[in-house]
Amino acid sequence: MIRFILRRLAASLLLLYLVLTATFFLLHLAPGSPATVILEDQRISAEQRENLRRVYGLDRPLPVQYARWLSAVARGDWGTSFSQQRPVKRVVLDAVPATMILAVAALLVEQAAGLVFGIVAARRPGSAADHAIRVVSLLLFSQPGFWLGLMAILLFSLAWPILPAGHMYSVGVDEMGSGARLLDLLRHLILPAVVLGLAEAGSVVRYVRSSLLDVLGQEYIRAARAKGISERRVVWVHALRNALPPLIQVMAISLISLLSGALVMEVVFSWPGIGRLTFDAILSRDYPLVLAATAFSAVMVLAANLMADVLHALADPRVRDE
Amino acid sequence: MRSRSARPLFAALLVLFLTAGCDGGKGGGEDGAATPAPRPASALGPQRGGTVVIGWTAAPTGVNELITQATAITTELVRQLFPQLLQEQPDFEEHPPTFRPLLARSYEWSPDRKTLTFHLREDAVWSDGVPVTADDVRFTWQAETHPDVAWDSAYMKEHITDVEVVNPKTVRFHFAKVYAKQLEDVNEGGILPSHVWGKLPFPQWRGNADWFREHLVVSGPFNVSSWDPQQQVVLVRNPRYFEKDLPHLDKVVIRNVADPASLITQLFSGEVDFVPQVQPSEMKSIQEDPRLRLIPYWFRLYVCVIWNERNPLFADADVRRALTLGIDRQTIVDTLFPGDIARVAVSPIVQSVWAFDRSLGPLPYDPRESRRILESKGWKDSNGDGILDKNGKPFSFVLLSNAGNQQRNDASVMIQEQLKQVGIRAEPRVVEFNSLVNDATGGTFDAMVFGFTMDTSMDLTAQFGSDSVEEGNFGAYKNPEIDRLMVEAMAKPQAQDAKPIFDRIQQILHRDQPVTLLWESQRLSAINRRVHDARPNVLFSLYNLEDWWVDADR
Repeated sequence: MIRFILRRLAASLLLLYLVLTATFFLLHLAPGSPATVILEDQRISAEQRENLRRVYGLDRPLPVQYARWLSAVARGDWGTSFSQQRPVKRVVLDAVPATMILAVAALLVEQAAGLVFGIVAARRPGSAADHAIRVVSLLLFSQPGFWLGLMAILLFSLAWPILPAGHMYSVGVDEMGSGARLLDLLRHLILPAVVLGLAEAGSVVRYVRSSLLDVLGQEYIRAARAKGISERRVVWVHALRNALPPLIQVMAISLISLLSGALVMEVVFSWPGIGRLTFDAILSRDYPLVLAATAFSAVMVLAANLMADVLHALADPRVRDE
Repeated sequence: MRSRSARPLFAALLVLFLTAGCDGGKGGGEDGAATPAPRPASALGPQRGGTVVIGWTAAPTGVNELITQATAITTELVRQLFPQLLQEQPDFEEHPPTFRPLLARSYEWSPDRKTLTFHLREDAVWSDGVPVTADDVRFTWQAETHPDVAWDSAYMKEHITDVEVVNPKTVRFHFAKVYAKQLEDVNEGGILPSHVWGKLPFPQWRGNADWFREHLVVSGPFNVSSWDPQQQVVLVRNPRYFEKDLPHLDKVVIRNVADPASLITQLFSGEVDFVPQVQPSEMKSIQEDPRLRLIPYWFRLYVCVIWNERNPLFADADVRRALTLGIDRQTIVDTLFPGDIARVAVSPIVQSVWAFDRSLGPLPYDPRESRRILESKGWKDSNGDGILDKNGKPFSFVLLSNAGNQQRNDASVMIQEQLKQVGIRAEPRVVEFNSLVNDATGGTFDAMVFGFTMDTSMDLTAQFGSDSVEEGNFGAYKNPEIDRLMVEAMAKPQAQDAKPIFDRIQQILHRDQPVTLLWESQRLSAINRRVHDARPNVLFSLYNLEDWWVDADR
């Protein structure tokens, strides 16, 4: 098992390197540069533009820039944000907690909704409830995240103003105690987490339904029913226990789609996470910041994949042998 | 009350989102004319205290504008922390702008206008109690011009040879030459605290934005109380500000709302009090909400089509003139802008500025004359496909505009349709802004819809100077007479003396049509009526933030 994990870890590191290298060159090949973004003022002289390129280290040949960046990253130095003039590591670390809070909350919503509605659909396949759940989950799954987010804001912040339209905290958070601060955070978390979680829950519903239907057709379930065990116990104890393991892998993978969905949600809900940071950094061609944010996202995706692989291997020894 | 007013708005916004990009049609007239205020402003006059929440789509990048990206909100914020020597006034409609004393109580020129002496206010102190002195002014200039600090507006200081400390409250600027923008150049940038920020050597300034926030002393009306990245910056009243009765507000919160649609929703929900820029399509909803007030003002931005003269299609001034005659600019303005918030642009010096040549008018929309000029230049529809051609080549080009700017994208489509009537094929293409700038600076385009902002110096060299092809003269227009006249105008010690020269420049540009001017428009700010005396203007949205006040009953 340890060899399996080490092998997967090595593959993940190689993939991370390739992702960052590809991002580095794609960024530099994309039209525009920090100089064109920062120096929007047409009156800035060519000499001054050249000086700024020198200050940013953009005057060197691309392979040299790449080698310098790579050696710095190897030493744990992710450079300085062009736009904010702060160490990139600090800028990213400032944003990580917000993204993690949103992703975990959305994951809980997604899994809870996926599980409950998946079970309801599987218990009575072909029923009106099953059809309704299928239609709603397909609708949620097929709508763009930003649209769902804006509709939620219009409904719950404007037409029926019970939740804040955005941000992580209220304006007067500085004057709140820790308890009130936590409650304030939860109030702000509800809309983005529910919208993000529900948007992704559709696929979980389908997985739970299909997995549970497979299990419910097994001989031992029929035997349990024949013994007179209650239907609730049959589903929740006997069937679900065997239907869940494959879903753990689905859960790990769904973390990836939640992270990418968070990028949009963070912009719509003014949530101060990595997604918004990346969005702004791309627009301002803040190369070091884009690379560090990409590295964070790549590590999260690779970690989720690794976790899924390990869990799969634990559940099925044949995977380890391969 | 709230839900009653929110319901129609909800419906309106729903339609807006579902029909993203479609204009809402004709809107109302002047701000507030048809909508009574829910309650009158307090009869007692300005009240002290209270909080105002300002919503902005970008976050401030730092407190040291010399090193961080000069976004609009960063500049606005820094102005509240570090006042300039003088404050430029928005009174440039009839004459060059005047300047009000700020950190300096007075100034005087030497007879040869090569030195300018400022006398600083005796009562100006930093927030730690240390007096603001001439050393601070000299230190600021040294920082602004240091190559390792690499301030992006350092070009404005290139003719200042020295800043001399005469005594603690007197400082003298020495110039290499006499020119029109001397005062503007001196005044650019707030005065920085040498006794604190001087402790960090200039070569270490870049990359250390946090250090400046952690070592912040200010001389302006507000100080920073807290800074949550991507969330909000909280400003509190600086009790040591030299205007003892100001500011009125206790606190100003600058909230960062990245998504414009979310920002406008927060304005309607009351979470945000002030939005510096709203879209024309939102005008009607704002005017219909009794809690909100719309503040329109003419902005110094003009939008035009740049013809790339490197392309032989656009090398001839007569052809460019024919293109302008073939574009119905009034219809474009009427379609894209509700009410009277935009007009057809006539000159790169916009009509709300003193130097605009009022003898000029827009070229008419005259497709017949356009066609006649083109035919006189050898363009004929020889194969009957509806498109003019010459030497076997059709009159066809790509018209670029940037993604995210619906008005310019829509204008491109209208231009395509109008030019088709003349026999010209324009193919609109929307590209990402950075890509557009890349094409502009590299000269790799046919034509593009682009916007330029003018400052009060009226210096058009960057946009039309022969040597500015990589800087702002993207169409590579070259006219030695324009170059000579610009040098002549900028060398005048008094800007108003250059008015006849500016007129001549505008007449030449009107004749040569290096660009087809489309429109100049008003900027629309929106504010909650509980906030009083806010006067956003073309210079700054938070121009007189220290004068803002809110009703005591809130």
